[in-house]
Order: sequence, then C-alpha cells, then structure tokens
Amino acid sequence: MEVLLQVLIGGILLGGLYALVAFGLSLIYGVVRILNFAHGTLLAVSGVLASLAYSGWQMHPVLIVALLAPLLFVCAYGYYHVLLRPLARRSHFEATVGTVLVTVGTLMILSDLTAVAAGATQRNIPLRLEALEFGDIVVSTTQLLILLGIAVLTVVMHLILKRTWFGRAVRAVTQDPVGAQICGVQSTRMKALTFAFGSATVAIAAVLYVLSFPVDPYMGFGLTVKAFTIIVVGGVGNLPGALLAGIFLGVAEGLTGLYWKPEWAPALSVILMLLMLVAYPKGVGAKT
Amino acid sequence: MSKSLNAGTGWLLGAAGVAALASLPFLGNAYLTTIGFTMLIAYILGQSWDWVAGEMGYVNLGHYCFYGIGAYAFAILLVGHWPLWVAIGFAVVVTALAALLISVPLFRLHGDYFAFATLALLPLVEVLAYNLTPITNGADGIVLPVAQVLQPAYLIALGVCVLTFVVTLRINASRFGYALKSIRNDEQVAETVGVRIAPVKRSVLMLSAAFGAAAGAVQAWQMSYIDPATVFGLNVALVPVAMVLFAGSGLRWGPLVGVLVLATLQQWLLVSVKGFQATLYGLIVLLIGRFMPGGFLRARWVQNVPLLRALAREHHEYMGESDTGTPAAAPAHDLPLPRHRNLGGAPLIQLEQVRMQFGGNVAVNDVSLRIQPGEIVGLIGPNGSGKTTLFNCISRVYTPTAGRVLFAGQDLKHCSRDQIARLGVGRTYQIPRPFGDLTVQENIAIPLMFNDQPLSPRDAMREARAFIEYAELGHRLRERADSLSVQEKKALEFARALACKPRLLLVDEVASGLTPAEVQRFVEHIRHVRDRYGMTVIWVEHIFSALEKVVDRVIALEQGSLIADGPLAEVVRNERVLSTYLGSAAPTEKAGGQGC
Repeated sequence: MEVLLQVLIGGILLGGLYALVAFGLSLIYGVVRILNFAHGTLLAVSGVLASLAYSGWQMHPVLIVALLAPLLFVCAYGYYHVLLRPLARRSHFEATVGTVLVTVGTLMILSDLTAVAAGATQRNIPLRLEALEFGDIVVSTTQLLILLGIAVLTVVMHLILKRTWFGRAVRAVTQDPVGAQICGVQSTRMKALTFAFGSATVAIAAVLYVLSFPVDPYMGFGLTVKAFTIIVVGGVGNLPGALLAGIFLGVAEGLTGLYWKPEWAPALSVILMLLMLVAYPKGVGAKT
Repeated sequence: MSKSLNAGTGWLLGAAGVAALASLPFLGNAYLTTIGFTMLIAYILGQSWDWVAGEMGYVNLGHYCFYGIGAYAFAILLVGHWPLWVAIGFAVVVTALAALLISVPLFRLHGDYFAFATLALLPLVEVLAYNLTPITNGADGIVLPVAQVLQPAYLIALGVCVLTFVVTLRINASRFGYALKSIRNDEQVAETVGVRIAPVKRSVLMLSAAFGAAAGAVQAWQMSYIDPATVFGLNVALVPVAMVLFAGSGLRWGPLVGVLVLATLQQWLLVSVKGFQATLYGLIVLLIGRFMPGGFLRARWVQNVPLLRALAREHHEYMGESDTGTPAAAPAHDLPLPRHRNLGGAPLIQLEQVRMQFGGNVAVNDVSLRIQPGEIVGLIGPNGSGKTTLFNCISRVYTPTAGRVLFAGQDLKHCSRDQIARLGVGRTYQIPRPFGDLTVQENIAIPLMFNDQPLSPRDAMREARAFIEYAELGHRLRERADSLSVQEKKALEFARALACKPRLLLVDEVASGLTPAEVQRFVEHIRHVRDRYGMTVIWVEHIFSALEKVVDRVIALEQGSLIADGPLAEVVRNERVLSTYLGSAAPTEKAGGQGC
C-alpha cells in the first residue's frame, strides 16, 4: 500500500512536469501552428545547464530560473524570426516539411553539442530538504515544493491566458487567426512572442524537472512525444485539460513500472496517443 | 517518330547506366562498392518515402520504422537458417502487414498530426525492439552468420533500386498515381469526383513499407549486425528524407539527384571531420529545411542550366508528351457524355425531411423536395440560408443529422462520397477548388479516370480535351490550375463537374462575380447540358436575371427552411421571400437584409 502511494505521488509529480512541458508546446502549436520537435530537447538541455549551474556555481534554483527564462525567451524569439518565420511564405507541404527539418535539425544539434560539452551522463540537482513523514508514508519536502511549483505555474499561466491582453490575443489567434488579425492582433508579432514565451516556460519546467528526476542530452524527444500526447488528449490550448492528461500519463507510467515492467513505460505514451487519435482525431477537450 | 527515338535512347542510356553500376563490385574496390551500396539503399528509402509524401502529400516521418522492421524480420529468419530469399520475402510481407495495421489510426490524421504521429512511431518501435528480448535479443542486437556478402548484397540492392525507379514511373503513368495526386491536392474534392481514397492511401503506404523493408533486409545482410539504435535511431531516420527534399520531392529525378549529392557529401564528412557528426547532420537537415524544402531543382536558376533543367521536370510534363497533336476532332459543343432520356415518372432526387444540425445551429431544417429528371431548378436564399449545406448533404460532404436522400430511387444513406459521385452526382464548389498543382487537362482527366467506366490516363487525357474546349480553356491546357484567373477557375470547376458525367449537376454560384457575357455563357451551358444530355441541374445563384432565362422552377430557403417552391415569377412575389431578401415591412419576425 505504501509502495502504491509512493508510486502515485511520483506519478503525479512526473505527470505534472510533463504537463508543464506540454503547456509551452500547446501554446506554440495553437498560435504558430508549428510542431516544435525540439521542445523536449530544449528542456533536456536547459536541465543540463541548470544542473551545471547548481553544481558548478552553487546557484539557487530560483536564480537559475530567473536567468534561464529570459535567455530562452530571447534565443527563441530570434530563432523564430531567423529560421521559422520565412517558411510560412511557402506552400503548405513545403512549410510542413521545412519546419519539421528545421526543428529536428535543431534537436540533433542541441543534443550533440550538449553531449560533447557536458557529457552524455545523467544529471540532476541534488537538493535534498528534510523529509516529512505521515505515518508510514515519507514525502520529501522537495517533492512537495515541486508540486507546489507546478500548481502555482498552472494557475499563473491560466491567469495570463484569461486576464492579460497577451493571453486574450493568444486565445483569439488559436481559435481563429484571420478573425484575430481583423480585430487588430498582429499575427506575426504574436507568433514570435508566443514562440518565445512558450520556450521560456521550458526554463521553469526544466529546473523543476532536474530537482526530482535526472536529465540527459538525448532524453528530449521522448518528452516531446509525451507532451504531444498530452496535447492530443487534453486539447490544444486547454491548460486544465493538459494538466489532467499529464497526471494521467504520469500515474499510468508509474503503475506500469509497478505492476509490469518499467522499461515498457516509454511505449505507453505513444500507444495512448495512437488510441486517442483513433478515438478522437481532433482531440478530446479541444477548446480554449 | 522523334519521341519514340528519345524514349528508346532513354531506355538504352538507362540500361547502360545499370550495367555500369552492376560492374562496380567486380572492380575490386570494396570501399567504392560500400559507398555505392549505401547510396542504393538511400535511394530505395528516399524514393519509397516520396510515394507517400511527394505524390500523396502525407509526410511520413516514421518511414525508417519500415526499414527497421524489415531488417529485424530478415535477421531473425536468417539466423534461424532460412534461405536468403525466404527471409527477404518474409521481411517485405511482415512489414507491409505492419503498415496495413498502422494505417488504420494514422490515416485518421492529416497534416502536422500525421507527421507527428508517424515520427512518434520511431521511439515506439525502438522500445519494442529493446524489450521484446526473446524475439529481438534486446539491446544486444542480432549478429548474423559471418560471410563476405558485399557483392551479392550490392547486386540485390541494385535490383531493388531499379525496381523502385520502374515502379515510380508506373505509378506516375497510372490511375493510381492520379488518385495520389488528387489526394495531395484536396481529399474532399478527390472523393466528390469519384476517387475512392481509403484503399489508395492504404496501398501506397504498404507499397512504400514493402520497399523500405527490402532496403532494411539487404542492409542488415550487408552489415551482418543490427541493434535497435542503428535501425530506429532518430539521427539516421531523417537522412533519406532530407536527401529527397534537398533535390526535389515529387520530381522524377529528385530523389536520385538528392541521394547522389548528399550521400557524397556525407562520405566526405565522415572521412574529413572528426567529432560533431550528429551536429553536422543536424545542421545539414536544418539548412535544407530552412532554405530548400521544395528542393533546389525547383529553384529558378536551375532553368538556365540545360542538364539540371532536364532533371527538374515534373512528372506531368512527361505525361503531356504522350498526348501531342491530335486536336479534338469533335466540334466544341459535342461532349463525350451519355444522353439520358427523361420520360418523367419517378423523381431523380428526392429529399425527405433532411436536417443538418451543427451543435445547436440548424443549418438545414427538415427540407423535403423532389426534382424530376431533366428539370433545372434554381435554389435561392440569402447568405447563410443553407443552400450550400443542402448540396453538401446530397454529395455527402456532410452526413445529414436526420432525413433521407434518395437518388434515382436509391437511398444514399450508406453511400460514400465517391460512390455518390459515381452514381451520377457532379458538383462545383462555390469557391473553386481545382487540383492546384496539376494541369488544366489533368484536372478534367481525373474524374474521367474514376467514373463508372474508368478510362486509362492516356484516354482520359484525350477525352478531357473536349471538355476543355467546351469551357474555352484550350489555350491553358498545360498550365497549372492554380495559375488560372478566377473566371477560368470557375469555368474549370464547371467543366470538371461535367467530366464526372453526372445525371444530377449541383452548381454552386458559378456565375457570381462574372461579367454579363460570362454569365450568359454559363446560362447557355446549363441549358445545353440539360437539353442535349438530359442532365438534371440544381443551380444556386443570386443573379435572378440569369436564373430567369433557364430555370423551370425555383426553391427558396431561409434559415435552413424551405419557404417557397414554384415558378420564378411566383416565388419572387412571395411575401416571405420578399421580406427575407429585402427586409420589407411585412410582419415577419426575421428580417435579414441581404441584397441580391
């Protein structure tokens, strides 16, 4: 029973982190209509950077986020303008294969450079706070803090989407790009900003991730697959849906490990995604 | 004469090239042979990928799965001491079946979703290969019996390679190829002109998988060792795709040129650069995606280089060649259409309480009507009154929420779009939807290839000319349809609907936005196809002066409901119709002021 509970908590934690990765990807897909295959790799690389910053310069995780998020924002903004935006002018087929190749190329470059520079080993931030004990169940304070972080981030993202001008514009473009443009939303600017914003959220997700799970330069694509599964299940642009779907996936993976074999866990998301796509080709909770 | 001579020279050159390639492994240079082998495999993979992508427009990023599954299936049988050919055959069959299985979920998806789902197959299959240890030997991989097989492997690969090229030529000269091209352009329109798309999509994926598997099997034989990372790794999976895109996807010579150039570059990099291999691959992939996703052969400067220009020809440029001269012998007003005698009696099309509901919005509200064979009926109503939706219910673009549609006495409930098209329902779209990257001639030829009496592409191309002359598009015969003006596109749209050889023609605002002379031409055409071929026509139009000249009666819709049915002169005096159109002071609650 205790094992089961521990696995459940771990699953919720992992699923929450998956959901954070999915938030950014979902926003980007909704507005820019680009599947960023390098999204998960960005998290892996950011995680490695964060872990290096922690072990090398003893930086506080919060400080790492404060530095990393703006850095990613700026890089992603430039990346979008230089590499992705010009493709929008091409025919549909060319734009699709073009963005796939650009983002997959980025994925390969990021992984390889990080592996060469920092080694292909697994890293994390070994921040260990005192554990809390509830009877037989031991919950680490780190885990609780991460859960809190996930919850706060979800609420903040939700508020940004619902209450700010930027968030309304994001939702408007997700629903109807032309309509939004007619109402004065500058679509090119919005796309670049959303791409940058969505990538910057990866910084937070990455630091939370390395606090509890190890990262390595090559794990990113697996994360992208999971994030995409979550979007498909939860609906594009639907954050609460993504959070639920993420937790579902995380718990399901944990249970697979517990009752069957942990090495099958990575296959779960792909199979789940394919099943979902068969049942609901347009997403289950497709709304904004 | 000169054409057949050219074709003969082409075959001779090809045979000489293949013979030269076949002699490569006997020159004694194992290094060169290995490079040649790598290129052959890359071509098979790239070209078979392009059948799905370049021809059909579906970006299958998981094509490498087929290669890997083929490699594993082959290796498992070979280790089990089965003969070589059995192992290769097994690999091909197993992989094609896997493709059949996976096509069920995959083809529910389009565009980006399809691309992503296929890419996600790679990690899935990799996990399977790692974990199904009893079959795949897990991470240890499979070691094949040691043997010096480079020469025979090379020759087999060359054979498959030649076969790949021949299949590519065959596809492009066949109805199957045109089904793929119509799917690439617009699936819905493809269906409404009679193409049954589901089996086509399935078969092309299986064909592509079979060739990918053959490549995997031969490569596994040559390498004599496989493990999950080498056959399913993301790093290697996109290289053949990048090669095809680099030169030009969908071109006859594109995959070949791309493989030659990039594989050479790859060899050079392998030799001269140490470290950062993956970064370099990634950079190449990225740059191709950023600067030439359409292929460098499609760049403008290529047209100035004679050799490259020859390589840059689109498939349909070869098709056009076989149909030179022989201008349409028949007079322009004689179309190759069957003549229906309409002796009255049973209605041709009958709607019973047809209802179309989108959520809470009732677009078509329990409409019942019957139209006799040979009638021309005008369908009027303000914007948003459900006219086009009604057409969509008949041609099964939408499935009606309730009610029955009977065509020539047959309930269309269980018919698919293509069946309805072949039964004899042709339609135009309000905003013309030609197959943009095909020529005017091909646009017309496609419905002729997928009729009840299907024509071969060659015959269809010839017959298409009559329709093109009729639509006065003769001078644009070989132009891409997306280069036409709006008027020309409308004429093409109408001609394509006629080429479906329909008994019922649904015409959706074909005359709006045209000059009076052009409107008059459509009026004459509609009258002509009825008088001469006995076609029944439903014409959605706002131009009453045009309707007046040709319709037998008019049906008026308002907010999805039928509000009037009768001769035009009567209907335009109907109070409800007047109030709907003009918002008169008549005591009707809904006054939508849409002018006509």
